[in-house]
Amino acid sequence: MKRPKIAFFDFACCEGCQLQVANIGEPLLEILERIDVVEFREVMSEKWDGPLDVAIVEGSITNQHALDRIKQIRERAAVLVAYGSCATIGGVNGIKNSFDLEDIRRYVYHADYRLFPTAKTRAIHQAVPVDYSVNGCPVNIPEFVDVLKAILLGLPYEVPDYAVCVECKLNENVCMYDRGVTCLGPVTRAGCNSWCINNGNICYGCRGLVSNPNTKGAQEVLRKYRIPEDLLLKKMEMYNMCRELDKNEQT
Amino acid sequence: MKKIALTNSQYIMKKGKILRTRQLTDFEKLFEISLEGGERLDHEPGQFIMLSVCGAGEIPISVSSSPSNISSSFEVCVRAVGKVTNALHKLEAGDEIGIRGPFGKGFPIRIFEGNDLLMVAGGLGIAPLRSLIKYVFDNRRDFGKVHILLGCKSPADILFLDEIEEWNQRMDVYYECTVDRAVPEWQGQVGRITTLIPGVHLEPERTFAVVVGPPVMYKFVIKELLAKNIPGRQIMVSFERHMKCGMGKCGHCQIQHVYACQDGPVFNYDEIKYLKESY
Amino acid sequence: MKDAQYSVLRKEQFDGFISRLSKLQRVVAPVARGYNNYSFEEVSSGNGISLKYIPTILPPKKYFMPQRETLLEFDTGRGLNSEAVVECEKMTIFGIHTCDLAGIQCLNMVFTERPRDYNYLMHKRKINIIGLECNEYCDEYASCALVNASTPSGGYDLFFTDLGDRFIVHINTQIGENIIESTKFFESAGKSDLEDLTELRAGKRTLFTKEVPVEPRYIPELFDRSYNSKVWDELGERCLACGNCTLVCPTCYCFDIKDEMDLGLKSGRRNRIWDSCQLESFARVAGGENFRKERSLRQKHRYYRKFRYPVEKFSRFFCTGCGRCSRTCMAGIKLKDTLNLLIEEFEETVSTLMEGNY
Repeated sequence: MKRPKIAFFDFACCEGCQLQVANIGEPLLEILERIDVVEFREVMSEKWDGPLDVAIVEGSITNQHALDRIKQIRERAAVLVAYGSCATIGGVNGIKNSFDLEDIRRYVYHADYRLFPTAKTRAIHQAVPVDYSVNGCPVNIPEFVDVLKAILLGLPYEVPDYAVCVECKLNENVCMYDRGVTCLGPVTRAGCNSWCINNGNICYGCRGLVSNPNTKGAQEVLRKYRIPEDLLLKKMEMYNMCRELDKNEQT
Repeated sequence: MKKIALTNSQYIMKKGKILRTRQLTDFEKLFEISLEGGERLDHEPGQFIMLSVCGAGEIPISVSSSPSNISSSFEVCVRAVGKVTNALHKLEAGDEIGIRGPFGKGFPIRIFEGNDLLMVAGGLGIAPLRSLIKYVFDNRRDFGKVHILLGCKSPADILFLDEIEEWNQRMDVYYECTVDRAVPEWQGQVGRITTLIPGVHLEPERTFAVVVGPPVMYKFVIKELLAKNIPGRQIMVSFERHMKCGMGKCGHCQIQHVYACQDGPVFNYDEIKYLKESY
Repeated sequence: MKDAQYSVLRKEQFDGFISRLSKLQRVVAPVARGYNNYSFEEVSSGNGISLKYIPTILPPKKYFMPQRETLLEFDTGRGLNSEAVVECEKMTIFGIHTCDLAGIQCLNMVFTERPRDYNYLMHKRKINIIGLECNEYCDEYASCALVNASTPSGGYDLFFTDLGDRFIVHINTQIGENIIESTKFFESAGKSDLEDLTELRAGKRTLFTKEVPVEPRYIPELFDRSYNSKVWDELGERCLACGNCTLVCPTCYCFDIKDEMDLGLKSGRRNRIWDSCQLESFARVAGGENFRKERSLRQKHRYYRKFRYPVEKFSRFFCTGCGRCSRTCMAGIKLKDTLNLLIEEFEETVSTLMEGNY
């Protein structure tokens, strides 16, 4: 395969996931030998209007303007990658969806709120078809490199559909629940190699929930560790509010 | 940590070269493969191999050609459904793949000899069964009456159409085919494969039935075969499982206490009728 | 019992022994991780070792069958070239409890049975094993007496028993003898040492008793009669399918095999990674059919793989009573409770049958 033309785009996000690319270090040089980066606002000033082999999209879709723009990008790109939690699951932008849109607009923009049109936050796949997903807030670089290799090889990349606990056990971490801390590892999709827990933090659920979580069983766990259900729900909502939109589509 | 080459590892692959490919339907493709140095695969019909497209992975695939084939190559029929099968579909003649095996217990041909055969294939089940069918044709006089029943979703899904036409012409085989959903041009039967079984004239005590197809098919076909008074030990089935090692270790193909990769994939009904996880 | 098979190590010499041994080869031993968690880690002195520990997060199987292990290296640059490999090194594991010794014995059977697994066998050949006796129960989750794993029955080169001011050490193999010889901290065992050991073992026989009220020889039959038990449905309702129970199990060995390409996209390797039958995708085939879709079926499968299926094939249970699965379960599924429920249910059935004058 000749060096594919790749562009990075961002929507509602902190752009921290793109920053992760700059943080790759030495392997980045080897990666750049394989790909031709034609647009990447964070690191270069060039723009590209032509067709793309791969569009890497960070951020979520939060208004009509963004929706029009992502549709355009989708049309130009042979492969579209949702990059980072805001793109793959809506991420923290999804918190907006728990409020009335009018109220939240007024709360944020005060008197001038009418100048700022808004819409329910959507993950990229809730707006246009997505070919690859790189979950995480921020993305985990080894996984991003794996996805990139899959794209270059023309292979699918399957995000694991089991809990972070699996990888956490393989890494032999002390369970956060043994430390008396509530962790979202048991219901969150793996693939990050339990990055946060390896470094002493809890799992915040930034990769989205496993597709078939045992809700009844989870309540049992809360009882066992005397965790208020409300606390766990709030923790899950931090990244996973856009999940509601997936549910609505299925029904 | 020292790295040591293992010369006796069971994970060592033989080099296989793709000689020819043939697109059978939109999703199924037939690959003719030769092993390095002209080595024969030396399989039994019903056995499977582990096939590698390195970088994509390794998958179990049943062999579709007969060991009685004069050429030393073999064939596999592959449906593009996953990562490895899609990668394989992109390969062409001349490309190299990895081969391990053959693995498992195939159809008990020696026991079939001298008896009548009723072969029932549903959908992609024809792929492993073709190995047996071709073997039987190559050694036709070793067997009694031969029936082949084929069921497909629609006429477009029928695999090996040209060969099936040949079977249809032969005087030494009873062949019937049915589709679940017909199209206007379809001349043949319409309905589930189970509807073909009652009409077959067979002598149950000297008939071996061979059933290969999707799991949902087994329950109904076996019921019909038992209704024909074919003894359970004379009803052979072949199970599809996603083996990762082929050596009874990885656990993926385990059906209660048996391992499909080592104890099967071919079983007789008496062996598996108490195994609730079998189909 | 020949006295020559026993040596004594004074407690004050223990640190020196581990230090000396760690200079000869890599030594790993149980180390405290906080919050009553322990794990086998590399040590260079005896001071960091937890001599009193409850079963480690992961059993020592991680050295025999690493969590991630390369089986094959390949290059697709010019045709296909590949080589099978194993990455291993000489090491001694110190402080393996009898439950985990039993676990290694189970894995030995599985991977030595044909077709053999030479990656496992290479690790096995490179690892020396020093066992350590439990003088008392680790906690309420253990059920080692039930499966006869509370006292040593082979599977080690040396076996340490704590006698207060000293360890009495059983020398089981020539490798063990070589360790004793090369480190030079050991004394020969005297009559009183052996008497103290005998006394300790006698005490253990009254302390460690069947943790579940069933004769072990009846367990296979109990499971034969429990295949349709509602106990499995109850487990299925609680199980989160996180896979913890199997990943920490000393006798679970299911794995996945995955390819990984280098960035150059020409060369790569085939890796074996621990897998779990508790994960939803485990028994799924390409067409989408899943033969153990329900959590209840997967939990049942786990229990049968411990108490029923291996009995026929290997003539032993593949439960070592270590209690890890119960300790780690998020949902509080406890092995002893499950067995108790099966027994209760079975007894109810029997008594109903008896009343019906069968």
